[in-house]
Amino acid sequence: MDTLASLQHLLGGFAIATTLQNLFYAFTGAIVGTLVGVLPGLGPIAGIALLIPLTFGLNPTSALILLAGIYYGAMYGGSTTSILMNVPGETASVITCIDGYQMAQQGRAGPALAISAIGSFIGGTIAILGLTFLAPPLAGAALAFGPPEFFSLMVFGFVVLSNVTGTSLIKALMMAVVGLILGTIGLDPVTGNERFTFGSIYLLGGIEFVAVAIGVFGIGEVLVNAAKPAESLEERVRVPRFRELYPSPQDLKRSIGAILRGTGVGFGVGLVPGPAPVIATYSSYMVEKRLSKHPEEFGKGAIEGVAGPETANNSATQSAFIPLFALGIPFGPVTAILLGALLIHGVTPGPLLISEQPQLFWAVVASMYIGNFILLLLNLPFVPLFANILRVPKKVLLPLVMFLCITGMFSVNNSILDIWLMLAFGALGYLMRTWAYEGAPLLLALVLGPKMEVAFRQSLLISRGGLGIFLRRPVSLLLLLATLLFLLIPVLRALFKPLGRGAVSAMARAPRGTRRKGGLP
Amino acid sequence: MAAAVALLLFGGITALLSLQLPVGSLRGPGSGFFPLALGLTLMALAGAHILQLHYAPSTPATEPEAPRGPAGSTGRVVRFVGVVAIATALLEPLGYPLVSLLLMLALLRGLGIRRWRVSGLIALLTATAAYLLFVRWLNIPLPKGWLGV
Repeated sequence: MDTLASLQHLLGGFAIATTLQNLFYAFTGAIVGTLVGVLPGLGPIAGIALLIPLTFGLNPTSALILLAGIYYGAMYGGSTTSILMNVPGETASVITCIDGYQMAQQGRAGPALAISAIGSFIGGTIAILGLTFLAPPLAGAALAFGPPEFFSLMVFGFVVLSNVTGTSLIKALMMAVVGLILGTIGLDPVTGNERFTFGSIYLLGGIEFVAVAIGVFGIGEVLVNAAKPAESLEERVRVPRFRELYPSPQDLKRSIGAILRGTGVGFGVGLVPGPAPVIATYSSYMVEKRLSKHPEEFGKGAIEGVAGPETANNSATQSAFIPLFALGIPFGPVTAILLGALLIHGVTPGPLLISEQPQLFWAVVASMYIGNFILLLLNLPFVPLFANILRVPKKVLLPLVMFLCITGMFSVNNSILDIWLMLAFGALGYLMRTWAYEGAPLLLALVLGPKMEVAFRQSLLISRGGLGIFLRRPVSLLLLLATLLFLLIPVLRALFKPLGRGAVSAMARAPRGTRRKGGLP
Repeated sequence: MAAAVALLLFGGITALLSLQLPVGSLRGPGSGFFPLALGLTLMALAGAHILQLHYAPSTPATEPEAPRGPAGSTGRVVRFVGVVAIATALLEPLGYPLVSLLLMLALLRGLGIRRWRVSGLIALLTATAAYLLFVRWLNIPLPKGWLGV
């Protein structure tokens, strides 16, 4: 598909995305996303999972417009709490705390908030341009993928995701395997045999992934906060007024380079497996600090340290849609939830999606341009309004989030058993946080598990039992070699220790323990 | 260590249960093939992790994740989960509106909002708003229970 055809399709997409109904859903997604981003303890994963049941009555296009809006909207909202309170609204805003909060301490919260909204808009919009022109050719190339390539791609995805989340590769890999095992519960996708259902009709349909998502990411976070002593739940904040928001020409001049570099870094990171927005912010911060003429200002309120990462997380959020749409393989936990939502709506993302359901793909892409614009408008003048939500004390917020999780969970299948399952995974999520196990690989594996098993078994059927099929096909071989490389990274790190403990792992502990307070990956 | 042992057991149980399913062969993998492979992989990874924990000296340099666990009281968490579990059990008999009110009241007071007037008002407002939004407007068939609404 050439550029002109893409543009033509995009125009068609705009025609669908600008209907009153779809504009409403883009707007709602943007508002809910900003709220999810602002509220510490409710991140994009739990936020999207909670809203899935509300999309049941919608057509798949409107549903995806709404849910995607929550994802990128959360990236806008996330910076607000980081800058004003030193508490990231979600993990992709952890880095913003470092310089954003320092700026706020110096009375420059306004410019920090404004520059992160402007950077988010520029980064997001450029990345959607990439999505517009890159996804169709990539989907075309992926049409040549067979089961062995898809299997190797998924193995590659898990290993890279495990490598970049948390601090221990082996722990993350174990979580991925647990997710895959949970994914085998229910009917065998090939033969239709019952597996691990113990005679329960409830388990026949498999483990409800929404229960796992809300449990591990929503309830788990609520419980971690509930465990804290009561005094720590009382945090108040000073919110800047509208007229304080304007950045100075000097601020803009210093930020523009960081914004453009953040766009590039974020876009690249979004294309590879991992919790893209989170990695993007760390990478962008490192790039800015290294390139800066005043590296000593970083950590003391350097505006580049806000502009770069806040741009990068939006850029990564948008480019992470490229593998989801073109390959049908989500590379991170949030896109995994979106895949689950699409499957509920009877849409199977993959190389054929763009050619077979062009209206859906192009309308969603067009809605992203619109959504980003809405978010810029929402976030610049209304930041003080959203920040006011932070005046609600945590001891009121936590019960509210818990209550919403229960109601939202019930409405997925109108089932009380789902609530029990969610609670069980909530307790598991709390334990995982206590023992420093990551939830992202588990969730991704649960959603992708059945796909991966089918690809594996089909490959073996094609090769009549020869595992060599994964090595004989060039793309599959390349992916497996890359996987091996990523598995060896920790070993190499141990061998070359002085080089090994890179800035990412050092920064993963920053800033001043706020990572623990933060929201969700 | 406890988590690694639990994962080792989980892998073992998965592998054992998979053997009760038709495993098949590489030529024709059956329903049990993939879970068996996963169970064994998990056992291997958990075993390796246990060895890693056993032999690695637990200095701050090798255990950077150690201080990441949430600080605070497990007792509060158990009470919090307990309250939610009781509410879930009562959802069917008592119904959604009543349970929402009681659950919010219990959680708010549990987290330190001791004044009845404040906690009661927040709980009442939440329950009413939730009832109007989810039951009346969105028509979600939440349990009616004892009150019958």
